[in-house]
Amino acid sequence: MELLLGIGRFVLATTLLLLLTVPTAFVIIQMEMKIIAQMQLRFGPNRIGPRGIFQSTIHGFKVLAKEDATPDQADRPTFTMAPWMVYMAAAMSMLVIPFAPGFVAVDSSISVVYFFAVLGLSVVGLLVAGWASYNKYSLLGGLRSAAQMVSYEIPLTLSVVGVVILTGSLSFVQIIGWQEQHGWAFLWQLPTLAFPVFYIAGLAEINRTPFDMVEADSEIVAGFATEYSGMRFGFFFFAEYVALFIMSAIMTTLFFGGWLAPWPFPAQLDGFWGIVYGLFWFFLKSYFFVFVAVWLRATLPRARVDQLMNMAWKVLLPLALVNLFVTAAIVLIFNLQPVGGA
Amino acid sequence: MTKTDPETRIPDPIELDRAEEERLAAAFGTAPGGGSRPAGGAEYAGFEQVGVPDRPPQTEREAEVYALEEGEMLFNMGPQHPSTHGVMRLVVKVRGEVVTDLDPVLGYLHRGIEKLCENATYTTVLTYVDPMDYMSSMHNEHAPAIAFEKLYGIRPPKRAEYIRALVMELNRVFSHALMIGFLALDMGGLTPILYSFINRDETVELLAAISGQRMLFNFLRVGGVNWDVNDEFINRLSAWRSNVGRSVSDNEALLTENPIFKRRTRGMGVISGERAIALGVSGPNLRASGVPFDVRKAHPYSIYDELEFDVVTQQAGDVYARYLQRIAEIKQSLHLIDQIVQKMPHGPVQAQVPGIIRPRPGRAFGAVESPRGFYSTYAISDGGPTPYRFRMRDPSFITLQVMPVLMPGHLIADTMAVMASLDPIMGGVDK
Repeated sequence: MELLLGIGRFVLATTLLLLLTVPTAFVIIQMEMKIIAQMQLRFGPNRIGPRGIFQSTIHGFKVLAKEDATPDQADRPTFTMAPWMVYMAAAMSMLVIPFAPGFVAVDSSISVVYFFAVLGLSVVGLLVAGWASYNKYSLLGGLRSAAQMVSYEIPLTLSVVGVVILTGSLSFVQIIGWQEQHGWAFLWQLPTLAFPVFYIAGLAEINRTPFDMVEADSEIVAGFATEYSGMRFGFFFFAEYVALFIMSAIMTTLFFGGWLAPWPFPAQLDGFWGIVYGLFWFFLKSYFFVFVAVWLRATLPRARVDQLMNMAWKVLLPLALVNLFVTAAIVLIFNLQPVGGA
Repeated sequence: MTKTDPETRIPDPIELDRAEEERLAAAFGTAPGGGSRPAGGAEYAGFEQVGVPDRPPQTEREAEVYALEEGEMLFNMGPQHPSTHGVMRLVVKVRGEVVTDLDPVLGYLHRGIEKLCENATYTTVLTYVDPMDYMSSMHNEHAPAIAFEKLYGIRPPKRAEYIRALVMELNRVFSHALMIGFLALDMGGLTPILYSFINRDETVELLAAISGQRMLFNFLRVGGVNWDVNDEFINRLSAWRSNVGRSVSDNEALLTENPIFKRRTRGMGVISGERAIALGVSGPNLRASGVPFDVRKAHPYSIYDELEFDVVTQQAGDVYARYLQRIAEIKQSLHLIDQIVQKMPHGPVQAQVPGIIRPRPGRAFGAVESPRGFYSTYAISDGGPTPYRFRMRDPSFITLQVMPVLMPGHLIADTMAVMASLDPIMGGVDK
């Protein structure tokens, strides 16, 4: 009975989260179109629905109607699998995100490890997509993605280890619990630059501007996605925006107190209204970071491949290592206790 | 499924193509299917060879470009590629992401305009040259107008010269502004191009008010200009003048001190002054390498000897210097526009010329400083109503030969940045 309940809960949670990815992607695509339009002094989409709010929905349904072409020389099994791998990597890493008190699909004691392991799988999909397409643009895009994401995984994960040392837990829920008692981890980590390192590495990990050379349209057309069309391309496109949301959500959870309100009274409520209250703050904070990513996209040109690598290995990695030492020192100096005792 | 008689079956067009391919392959003695497909079903064999033409090389250069060493791959950019300017094709030989050789392939936009002009009367030639370098149509008209006036032996009235100089400088402003936008766009910056287009739109509206067209203006005539300017135009011009700096300074704020932009452009695609002269580079690209050559100063035409302006130069000769050069030249052009409006005399705008001009036999040369450099016309008259020979020297065409010299050793990503900084317009290159 216990097992059946567990399986039922798992199926329900995964289904709900998979369903959540689609509107998330729609909302972020719509945000991107409208916000960048405002920054570029133009109107943006304004024809479908009031003020154009259904534009991205229509785009989503449009890709369903498009022809799904496979190149003659493509390696069919991997070519077909690749979008699925990228999308599932993004969607499955949502399983451990705590949205509100008690509103998390899986509250595991190793959810931080799980999250970065699963999110890192998407690089396999991108590499496979680039290789299977039988196209030189795709090949270069795939190789760029492999080099970029593997390099940035290291500073990304190391900058999180600081928070783990600070809170003494690998569970997102307990990390939020620690922040309820001690204040945002961001404030504790201010002197160690953990958050800037995480933010930059996070942008590179999900291939956002200024690190979008995986699909640099002026150089390699569309990178790994050049030969993809129809819903297969749609999966790549959705996965990219879902990953943006996930990265913002994790920033919120690790550094900015997750579902907690920014002031201590009441940081969270109980019962049904607690979930609503938590969801409100969680999505507000997450979408703020989504907005910053969109803002960067409208502002910055793209960095170059070798500069990107230099940045990862020569700047971010040393900073992330220093972060570990300084965080450990902070824990010692302030005699911080891990959540729930040692 | 019924079995169809092979005699009566309508042939599939793809099969017809294959038959034609096999016929050609037999004629040329190469493998059927051409070089675009690996032979014998081996999945990835010869992948790096895709793009090598399946015929023997026809020039030494072609043999050099298409001969691949171990670890090299051909990478084709264009003619339909998101960032090549117009329909340009670059065959790039790469080792990993590093460019080892590069060959521009031209001719996708060739319209035979020079030959068309040899069959048109002198008056109508000025309408044909507009779409050559379509970002500076006014300058396209100016060079032949000067040459034809020399051939026919007339001078346009003073006011016409001033109006010509005014529209030239307006054209230069939006052309340089667009170059800045495209440079940023080719490096992944999405916003500057839109600010540039605001600038272009406002400027083009002005030019449309005076000429009636937004892109191919058809404004100059042999011996003058088509329309006079009136007070309303001057008012609109001063309104434009007061806010034209905004889009330029917006772009400057986004790019000039941007660390990512600076890192990608400084020391990139460096060409020294001597090398630039040897390769025939002219215009802003030459001045960005420190050579103070400007046709307006060196060989003054129109009224440029009466106006005061500086020949701005940069020393570095890299992509960043070429970007700064464009911004400096926009400011010089605005300075010129102010002087022209102040000094503009009254009078006619068109000299007396017959409907069909028949100059005496002879030859004439007219050169202007276009936004891309030394733009000139050479025309020979045999006494008839049409030019016997008509030739345009387009600076973009000459500038493109710098690319194979500059690019080896750089990355694929820099190809687009260097290309955009040279600002070639394919309409002018292919004519």
